[in-house]
Amino acid sequence: MNVLITKFKELSSKQIVLFAIIGVCFVASVIFVHHNYSFYERPIAKVIKTNLEDTTEMIDIHNNKDHLFTQHITAEIKNGENIGKIIHLTNKYSTSGAYDQEYHVGNELFISIDTNSKGSTELSGSIKDVKRDKFVVYIAWIFIFILLIVGKKQGLFSIISLAVNAVLLSYALDVYLYDPETSLVLICSISVILFTVISLLLVNGFNEKTYAAIIATLLGTFVSLFITYLVLWLTSEKGLRYEEMQFLTRPYQMVFMAGVFIGSLGAVMDVAITMSSSIFGLYEQNNNISIKALKTSGLDIGKDIMGTMTNILFFAYISGSIPILILYLKNASPLGFTLSMNLSLELARALAGGIGIVLTIPIGLYTTIFFVNRKRARS
Amino acid sequence: MNVLVWLAAILFILMILIGGKKGARSFISLFLNFGVLLLTIIFMTDPNINPIILTLIACAVISCINLFYINEVNSKTITAFISTIITIVILLFFIEIVSENTKIQGFGEEEIEELGVFSLYIGVNFVKIGAAVIIMSTIGAITDVAISITSPMREIFYHNPSISRKDLFTFGLSIGRDILGTNTNTLFFAFFGGYLGLLLWFKDLSYSVDEIVNSKVFSAEMITIFCAGIGIALIIPIASWINAYYLVKTRENNKLSK
Repeated sequence: MNVLITKFKELSSKQIVLFAIIGVCFVASVIFVHHNYSFYERPIAKVIKTNLEDTTEMIDIHNNKDHLFTQHITAEIKNGENIGKIIHLTNKYSTSGAYDQEYHVGNELFISIDTNSKGSTELSGSIKDVKRDKFVVYIAWIFIFILLIVGKKQGLFSIISLAVNAVLLSYALDVYLYDPETSLVLICSISVILFTVISLLLVNGFNEKTYAAIIATLLGTFVSLFITYLVLWLTSEKGLRYEEMQFLTRPYQMVFMAGVFIGSLGAVMDVAITMSSSIFGLYEQNNNISIKALKTSGLDIGKDIMGTMTNILFFAYISGSIPILILYLKNASPLGFTLSMNLSLELARALAGGIGIVLTIPIGLYTTIFFVNRKRARS
Repeated sequence: MNVLVWLAAILFILMILIGGKKGARSFISLFLNFGVLLLTIIFMTDPNINPIILTLIACAVISCINLFYINEVNSKTITAFISTIITIVILLFFIEIVSENTKIQGFGEEEIEELGVFSLYIGVNFVKIGAAVIIMSTIGAITDVAISITSPMREIFYHNPSISRKDLFTFGLSIGRDILGTNTNTLFFAFFGGYLGLLLWFKDLSYSVDEIVNSKVFSAEMITIFCAGIGIALIIPIASWINAYYLVKTRENNKLSK
């Protein structure tokens, strides 16, 4: 207890205000997601009783065994004109749960109410979707708290940079939708410049290291984008299966290129800032260090991070395809077909990102050395 | 010629030009990791194997490749490996609870139309596979943070052999904080880039905010981003503590044996 009190006394008034704001936001948002039923237009029901009615074993044409269950659900309506009434729902689900799920007492569901049952005391209806906002908010808070506890100030800055970048991206997409004549790649180029400047300044502050990293990031991303574009153009995009790209309402090549562009940006920034801060670190330790020594150590650092950075992108892109690959394979699709159908775009993204990462190593090295020389000439 | 072959060839040449032998090893590690991932997916199609345990084994093999093959087997990679495994286990428990409750497994209504020809009742557990997806997309970043913390900690320990365990731990934390921002950024942008189509879809079909937040695809993506951030943040104290404990312990053992 005494430790806590002394810790508390060490806090500055600024920190106390910050903690108070975060605490209030936390409590307010948790209360809100628990009582926001009336903000929804779609009817919401909370499960109060479930009853398993029927179990059947089924085997599909590919010899996959599964179990189908039918569940009777009694739920209480939480909003709208029927608030407080009881509704009866049925739910079919399987053990695999690819597009269905078992519901438990306490789950909140979006439902539709059958019109012919209206007026009677016992309503019936069907389930539309699950209310997930509560959990998204909980996990967002766990994320924020863990980042703040571990990262302190840096954690706060990375949360801010995430939020600012997300808003910026959303705004950029609005601009594109408002005026589809402007090219998405152009809009993304402008956003990429903004993203880079904002994120790197937030992570590293105003100094030469950051300026060198910003220039290296921009050069690295644009050069790698150019190479990717050139390859796509030369090969006339042979081997890319755009038809499996999900959620498409727009010209797919544009969306794909813009995705490659933004996707590799984070990794390229990471490489650029690592290169510039470590080379500046060496210079600050020893102001008379030769350019040749800086080059060798810089290249060594670059070699060290090259492998892990490309692997980060690789896993971030490919892992998302695991469920669909399993679905294809279980439906007796040949392995080669499954992979080329579902992984071509992800692999292209990962490889293009990798090219960006590797190119940024020499680019970062030489831009930083340029800035070091400038600083040396001035002092 | 195929786009992928071209891009892979360019990447390979660049890696060798810039990284030499180590560059070649980095490129081969990408291939090995792809092999491990494919093997894991093939094993996952067997409903009798628990996908969570499978993921754990796959993560162990992947971190071996990332740590021991690209770098070498030494005290810093070994402590990085142990901390990666501990973080993955903690994260797996957390994510399994999360995906059980949020029901984000499998496919959303936006995706299901294209999958009409497929049989969806295939017997594998999509909740557990969903948890596996989230872990796998973070494993690269987690091993990266682990090695970035343990290797400068060892440097400091050699330059300053009498350093106390607590100071070593604090040093590890401060390095971790420096890389926290850039590493979370790497993952955020990678995910943003991947979800660009999804965001345009939501905006084009003028989804309302409540429909977006509650939809399966969007909440699954958000939860992936948050869990990735949590994983990166968690490995920092874990790797710092284990490395500090290990380095001080070996120092004490050496003293005793003298």
